[in-house]
Amino acid sequence: MAQRRGSALLLAVPVIALSLFLVGCPKRPATTAASAPPPTGTPSPSAAAPSTAPSPSMTPSPAAPSTAAPSTTPPAPSEFTANANLKDIFFDFDKYDVRPNDAKTLDANAAWLKSNENLVLIEGHCDERGTNEYNLALGERRAKATMNYLVAQGVQASRITIISYGKERPTCTEHSEACWAQNRRAHFLVKAR
Amino acid sequence: MNFFSSLMRPGRPLGVLVALVLLAATVGVVSSPPAARSQGADVLLNVLATGAKKLNIVIPNFAVVAGSDTAGLARSLPQVTAKDLTFSALFSVVSDVPPIPTADPAAVRATFANFAAAGAHAGLQGLLNLRGDRTEVEMRLYDLTSPEFRLIAAKKIDLPATQARRLAHKIADEVVMQFTGESGVADTKIAYVNTGGGSKELSLMDYDGAGATHVTSNKSINLSPMWSPDTRSLAFTSYMRGYPYLYRMFPFENRPVQVVAGFLGINSSPAFSPDGRFLAMTLSRDGNPEVYLLNLATGAFRRLTTYSGIDTEPTWSPTGREIAFVSERAGGAHVFVMDAEGANVRRLTQAGFNTQPRWSPKGDTIVFTSRQGNFDLWAVSPDGSNLRRLTAGPGNNEGASWAPNGRHLVFQSNRPGGYQLFTMLADGSEQQPIPRTPGESTSAAWSPRLP
Repeated sequence: MAQRRGSALLLAVPVIALSLFLVGCPKRPATTAASAPPPTGTPSPSAAAPSTAPSPSMTPSPAAPSTAAPSTTPPAPSEFTANANLKDIFFDFDKYDVRPNDAKTLDANAAWLKSNENLVLIEGHCDERGTNEYNLALGERRAKATMNYLVAQGVQASRITIISYGKERPTCTEHSEACWAQNRRAHFLVKAR
Repeated sequence: MNFFSSLMRPGRPLGVLVALVLLAATVGVVSSPPAARSQGADVLLNVLATGAKKLNIVIPNFAVVAGSDTAGLARSLPQVTAKDLTFSALFSVVSDVPPIPTADPAAVRATFANFAAAGAHAGLQGLLNLRGDRTEVEMRLYDLTSPEFRLIAAKKIDLPATQARRLAHKIADEVVMQFTGESGVADTKIAYVNTGGGSKELSLMDYDGAGATHVTSNKSINLSPMWSPDTRSLAFTSYMRGYPYLYRMFPFENRPVQVVAGFLGINSSPAFSPDGRFLAMTLSRDGNPEVYLLNLATGAFRRLTTYSGIDTEPTWSPTGREIAFVSERAGGAHVFVMDAEGANVRRLTQAGFNTQPRWSPKGDTIVFTSRQGNFDLWAVSPDGSNLRRLTAGPGNNEGASWAPNGRHLVFQSNRPGGYQLFTMLADGSEQQPIPRTPGESTSAAWSPRLP
C-alpha cells in the first residue's frame, strides 16, 4: 500500500468512528476483553481460628443441681437433634405473637419438656418476603416469644437457648402463600443435659 | 438527577457557577469571568453550557513506549477506561482507534484536529511503559475545544504488573477528577454474598464485576458484609460457629478472622462509623434487638436504643453525628434517625414496610427498601422531605449500597429470575446489570475508593 494512501486510511478511520459524535449518537465503547485478570491483592482464606469469643451469659444459673458448672456459652446447634414430641408452631405475616391454636401446641410441648431434663434449642424462622437483617430480628422475636410462653408454663429458662435463622433456612422455596406460611415458624431441637 | 443538576447542589461553588453561566447565556448577557480553577472544569462547564448532556471524549489505544506488550494492554486498558468513563454517565466515549502518534508534532496536531472535527471535546492519550514486574502508564488529557489542543493534565501511574487492570481504573478516576474536582469510583470493589458454591459465602469483585471471588469458604451462612473506611476489613455476620456472631475479616492481608461480637442472641447488621472508630451493630443480648456502638479501640459496647421491640440496621450519616435505623416502635417497620448518642429520635417514613436504610456519603439522601407488594428502592432526604421512588420493578429490588461518590448505587434484583447485582444512578436512571455471577448474589456493599 502506498504511504500516502496508508496515512489517508489512518486519518479516515478515526473520522468515520468519530462522526457519530456529530449525529448526536453516543458511540458504545468497544467491549473490553471478557476474561478477568486476577483480583487486587490476595484475599486471605477465612481462618477457622478467631480470637477469643466474648459471650456473657443471658440465662440465670440453673436452679436444679448439676454436676457441671453453669456454662456461659450454649452448646453448638449441631449438638441438638429433632424430636417428634416437639411440634413446630407458626406465625402470622410480620408478627411474632403466639396464636391461640399454636398456644395449644406449646402447652403439649411444655408438658413433654417438664417430663424430662433435656435442653432445648428454639429456632425462629421467617418467610422470604422480608429483608435479611430485619428477618434475623423477627426470627429472634418469634423464638423469644415461644420461649417466654414455655417458661410461663413452667419450663426452666436455663434449659432453653434460642437462635434466629431469619429467612436463611426455609423448609420450602415456592413463592406461594402456602410455602410462606410453613416457613414462618418456631422449630424445636433437644439435647440431653 | 443528571450530572448537570448534581452540580447545582447548594454549597458547591462549581454548581453555582454553572447556574450563572447558563442564566447569562439564556438572557444573552456575558457573565463576568469565573474565578480561577482547573482547566478541566472550564472545558466541562463550557460544553454543558452549549446544552450538551455529556462531554465527548476519545480514548485511542495506548502507545507502547518501552517493553514488550505481550498481554495486549495497549488495547485492553483503554477499553476498561472507556467503560469506566461511560459508566460515570458524564462522558460519551469513542475508543478502539489507533494510538495518538508520539513523535511527529504535525501528526499529533492532525490527529487532534480530526478528533475535534468529529465532535470530541477531550482526548486521552496513554503511554505504556512495561518494566517487567511493574507497569506504568503516563496519561495525558487534552482539551480539544481549544485551538492549540491544550494539555489539561499529565500524570504517571504505576502498579505491579499483576494489577495492570487497576491502572485503567485509576486513569478513569483521574479523568473524572480533572473535569469535576472529585475522583471517579472506578478503583473500587463490591463485597457481596454469593451462593454459587452451594452456601452463602462472602465474595469480592471489582465494581465492574471483574475478578469475582469468594473470600470465605466456611460452608455455613455468611451475611451482611460492610467495609471499614480504610478498606482493609469487612465486618459481617456468620453462622460459622453455629450461632450468628459478628466477625471481621481482612481480604487483602494474611490475618485470621476476628470475632467482634459473640453474645447470646443475634449479633448482626454491622456499620462502621465514617471515622472508623466505632462499629454500630444489632445485638439482642439484653432481650430484644437493639442498636449498639462498639468502640473499636477500647472494646466497650454502648447501647443506643431502648424500645422493647425490634431496632436494627444502623447506617451512619457521613458527619458521624447521626444514625438512621429501622424500628417497629411505630408498628410495621419504619426508618428513624437518632443522634450518635441515641437521643433525638425522629421518624422518616410513614407508609409501607421500610428497611435497609443507607445514608449517602454526600449526606443528602437516605435510600431504603420499601415493601408495598414487591420490594423497591426509595429515597428520602434526611429531614424527611423529597420522598421519591427509584425503582418500580420488575421483580424485587433491594439491598442498595452507595458508591463513594454518592452518585451511583449497587443493589440486588431478581428481575433475571434469581437475584443478581445491578447498578444505577441516584435518581433511579441507568439501571444496568453487573456481569452475571453463578448462583445468586445479594447484600452488596460498595467499597470506599481503594488507597
